Amino acid sequence: MDILISGLLLGGTYALMAMGLNLQYGVARIMNLANGEMLVLGGLAAFWLFTTAAVSPLLTAFVVAPLAFAGNWLIYRYLLLPLVRRAKSTGQLEVDSILATFGMSFALVGIMVSIHGEYFTYSYLADPFSILGSTVALNRFIAFLAAAAIGFALYYWLNHTYAGTAVRAVSVSTEAAGLVGINVDKVSAMAFALGGAVTAVGGTLISTFITLDASVGVIFTMKALIIMIMGGVGDIRGAVIAALILGLVETAVATIIDPGLTLASAYVIFLAVLLFRPQGLFGRRSS
Amino acid sequence: MLTISNLTVSYGLHRALGDVSLNVSAGEIVVMLGANGAGKSTLLRSVAGICEGQTGGRIDLSGKDILTRKSDEIVEAGIAFVPEGRGIFGDLTVWENLMLGAYSERGRRGKTKNLDWVLELFPKLKERKSQLARTMSGGEQQMVAIGRAMMANPEILMLDEPSLGLSPLLCKELFENLSHIRETGMGVLLVEQNAKQSLAIADRGYLIENGEITGENTAAAMLTDPAVQAAYLGGGAGSENRSQGGEDG
Repeated sequence: MDILISGLLLGGTYALMAMGLNLQYGVARIMNLANGEMLVLGGLAAFWLFTTAAVSPLLTAFVVAPLAFAGNWLIYRYLLLPLVRRAKSTGQLEVDSILATFGMSFALVGIMVSIHGEYFTYSYLADPFSILGSTVALNRFIAFLAAAAIGFALYYWLNHTYAGTAVRAVSVSTEAAGLVGINVDKVSAMAFALGGAVTAVGGTLISTFITLDASVGVIFTMKALIIMIMGGVGDIRGAVIAALILGLVETAVATIIDPGLTLASAYVIFLAVLLFRPQGLFGRRSS
Repeated sequence: MLTISNLTVSYGLHRALGDVSLNVSAGEIVVMLGANGAGKSTLLRSVAGICEGQTGGRIDLSGKDILTRKSDEIVEAGIAFVPEGRGIFGDLTVWENLMLGAYSERGRRGKTKNLDWVLELFPKLKERKSQLARTMSGGEQQMVAIGRAMMANPEILMLDEPSLGLSPLLCKELFENLSHIRETGMGVLLVEQNAKQSLAIADRGYLIENGEITGENTAAAMLTDPAVQAAYLGGGAGSENRSQGGEDG
C-alpha cells in the first residue's frame, strides 16, 4: 500500500513534466533534449528563492511559469524556428532539433553550475502526512495535487476550448492547419513555450521532495521521453497513465529490490514498450 | 476574382509549371483537366501557399498579390483549398473540423451563416458531429473537407481531385453538391480527372499538359471538342473505368 501511494504521487509529478515534452514534441515538433534542464531550472528557482527569501515553492511556481514561458518562446522563435523553416522533412527537423537542444542542455547545465554548483538542498513541508493508512511526506502530496490540477487544466484547455482545438489541429497536421488559416509558427511557438513552462513548474514541485543538482536534468529528460513514448506522442491521457506506471514501478523496485535499480527498471519497461507497442499504450499505428 | 499571370514553379532544375495564366470569377466553376503529373496539383498548391518549389509570376486575388504569402494569410485573403487526400484533421471530431474551418478572421465573420449552409448541404454532418473524422467513410470525409473549406467564407474555393476514391454514386452526389456551391457566389477552381462529370457542372475549362496551359474554352464546347474527347473523355469510357476502380461508400 505504501508503495502504491508513493508510486502514484511520484507518477503524478512525472506526468506533468512529460506533458511539457509532449507539447513541445507533439505540437511544435521539437524533440527537446534540454527539457530536463528546464525542469532543473524550475527547481533551482525554488531552491534559491526559498533559501534566500524563504519564499514558498508553491508561490515560486507562479513566478517560474511566466518566466519559463517567455524564455522558451524566445528559444523557439530565435533558435528553433530557423531550423523548422529550413527543414525539408520531419526527419531532418528531428535530427537538427535533437542536436540543437542537446547542445543547449550543456549550456544550461554550465550556467546552473556557475550559479550553484552543489545540491539544491532545502526542506519544505517535509512533515509526515497520513493518507489511506500510509504515511507520506506532505510535500509529495502537495506536489501531486498541484501537478494534478495543472494537468487537468491543460487537458480541459486542449480539448474544450477553441484555442486548444487549434493546438491539437497543428499537432495532427501542420499543412492542414495552415489551410484553415491557423498561423502554425505562432501556435507552435506558443505550444513550445507552454510546454517549457509546464516542465519548469514540474521542476519547482519536484524539488520540494527530490534533491536536484545542476547536472541531473538528463535523467529527467530520459524519464519524460520514456513516458511520452510509452503513452503515445500527443496523447495526454496516455502520458498520465504511463507516468503513473513509471512512478509505481520505480517506487516498487526501489523499496523491494534496490534503490540503485530505479533507472534500470524504467529502461526495462521502455524496452518492452518499444518492442511490443511502439505506437504507445493507446496510440494508433501511424498509417 | 482570382487572376493568375505567368506563374512558373520549379523544383530545383525541374520546371513543374511554365507561364500559366488563368482566371476564376465569382460564381463560376472552372475545371482544369490534365493527366497525372501535368502540374495541376502544383498549380493549386502554389496558389494555396503550400508549394515547396520556387515560384515566379503573379497571383492576384481581388487586386492583392498573394504569391509569396503563407497559407494562413491566403485563407484570410479569401482562398480555401481542399487538397488531394482531403487534409482533414482525422483525430478531431467532425464538429471540431468544421469549427476550425472558421478559424480565420474572415471565417469568423460569416460563421453562423456558413454553418447553416454547410449543414443544409450536408445534413449527415450534423448527425455525425461528435464522430472522429478518420472513422468516417471516404464520401463523408470529403463532405467534412468541403464543409470545412466553406466555413472559411472564401471568395474562391479550390478542390484537388475531390472525386478520387469515391464510388460512382457518391461521385454524382459530389458534383451535384459542387454545382450548388456556385449559388453562394463563390468561384470554384476544380482539378479533376473525371472530365465528363466535372465539365457537366463547369462553366469553363482549361487543359494543362507538361506544366503549360494548352487549351481554354467553355465547358460545353470542351465536352464536344474531339481533341478533348480523345484525350480526357476516352469516347466517354475513360471516366467510367476510373470510377469503377474507386472504393467505399
